[in-house]
Amino acid sequence: MAIFDVIGPIMIGPSSSHTAGASKIGYMASLVYGKHFDSVEIKLYNSFASTGRGHGTDRAIVAGLLGMKMDDERIPYAFEIAKQKNLKYYFRKSYKPDHHPNEVRFVFNRGTEDSFLVRGISIGAGKAQITQVQEDRVEFGGDHAVLLLNYGDVPGMIGFIGDILGKYKINVAYMQSARNALQMSAMAILKLDELCPSTAVEDLKNNPDMHQVISIRKLNNEY
Amino acid sequence: MSTNIIPSRIRIRSTRDIRHYLHTYPFKDLVDFFIEYEAKNRIMEKEDVVKRMDKALQVMKESVLKGKEHKNRTPSGLIDGGSKRVKQYTEKEHPDLLGKDFDNVIVNSLAVGELNACMGRIVATPTAGASGVLPGAFLTISEKFNISEECQVNALFVGGGIGELIRINASLSGAQHGCQAEIGSASAITAATIVSLFELSLDKIENAAAMALSNLLGLVCDPVAGLVEFPCVNRNVTGSINAVACAQMALAGIKCPIPFDEVVGAMKQIGDDLPASLKETSRGGLAITATGKKISKEMTDGDPRDPA
Repeated sequence: MAIFDVIGPIMIGPSSSHTAGASKIGYMASLVYGKHFDSVEIKLYNSFASTGRGHGTDRAIVAGLLGMKMDDERIPYAFEIAKQKNLKYYFRKSYKPDHHPNEVRFVFNRGTEDSFLVRGISIGAGKAQITQVQEDRVEFGGDHAVLLLNYGDVPGMIGFIGDILGKYKINVAYMQSARNALQMSAMAILKLDELCPSTAVEDLKNNPDMHQVISIRKLNNEY
Repeated sequence: MSTNIIPSRIRIRSTRDIRHYLHTYPFKDLVDFFIEYEAKNRIMEKEDVVKRMDKALQVMKESVLKGKEHKNRTPSGLIDGGSKRVKQYTEKEHPDLLGKDFDNVIVNSLAVGELNACMGRIVATPTAGASGVLPGAFLTISEKFNISEECQVNALFVGGGIGELIRINASLSGAQHGCQAEIGSASAITAATIVSLFELSLDKIENAAAMALSNLLGLVCDPVAGLVEFPCVNRNVTGSINAVACAQMALAGIKCPIPFDEVVGAMKQIGDDLPASLKETSRGGLAITATGKKISKEMTDGDPRDPA
């Protein structure tokens, strides 16, 4: 945070929270899902639901899903571009005071695969955070590369993860892990200075107790 | 000039801190100080910091041109080509109240505010809703005086640095401190930027910013239908004109009796005391007038749970 937060960001109007932040949520959600999808359900909560249309929140989110940044002048035409690219999306609205005022929930669908849930919030000044991936409560905003791991709740997994990171000389800025007792599984979220190399991701996936590895690059300088 | 080595991190909380740094370390001037500040805090090269500010300047200029070209109509009808109307009227009809320069401030400020409302590309200075204030006044004056782009970029660092003090000690958010934190801050940033085009005197820059902000203290954020349209866009003009007046007063040597840092403190206190209904929730002020409610109902699909 410094002078370029005062003179900037460069963005498509009208609102840093309802337009710029919204596009960023869409952008990050598509990075989290990380592959082509057949359709996506987009649920807007509270202020996003009530004033979203006037702020272009809906267009901005679709633009973000299409890979557009917050300063992309095609954002106002996102619906038309989505149609050309055959991206299917459905909007829902929800008014629930226990949810963040500017929240979005995505449910991605692809073929016969299970649907995939991502949730994000816009926190002002064009900044946004992903707050949920599938069952896992998370919090990241693109300032770091992220590694999101789901694995069997067995001893030695943290050590295994640490060994791989050490082998590839990856420095960890932040790490949190938690167990989901009901599902006999656990998750860890790691924030890294640089994107985890794909070879390291493969090594992590090769452990039979590792259920899911999501690796996301950081957005710092592009946003 | 001091020969002390510039520290690897620069932290400022007040204009006193800036004076201390300028006195203690070998910065060339205020511009050099703020470029160094940004480079150190972002861990970027100074050239890249300057390039990035130049990009912001180019987008700002582009936003004025596009804002003047576009129809600038929003679905709510609250924005309907105001910039163009003022331009055409003052060029062809009577009366043109204060002449071309004054008209240009109004036209350029409206152009960017309206472009923002119409999903055009702008530089949020410091917010999207206040993005017309700086280009409206600063670019108009830069053009009038044929100021080089390099000097304009330098001036933006000074204005941004002054805004940084508001961000650190209060906020730049209407949701936190009302419109005074958006249009008020934008006006202070703009006044500082304009003065620094002509004199790099921290005293005069500080006075201009302090007067501009103190003139807009207490301004509440009460947007109709929760949209960044009315009264936001018109208030951009207020912010621009106030900035020009305060810059002119400060250049002439008028001092603000309350120092800038204390005015910022006052803004924070007023903003904290403001009820939530007047901080971007559209639950008070213009937003809940009979007409405001009617427009809101049309624009929000009439959802009864919507507070606006």
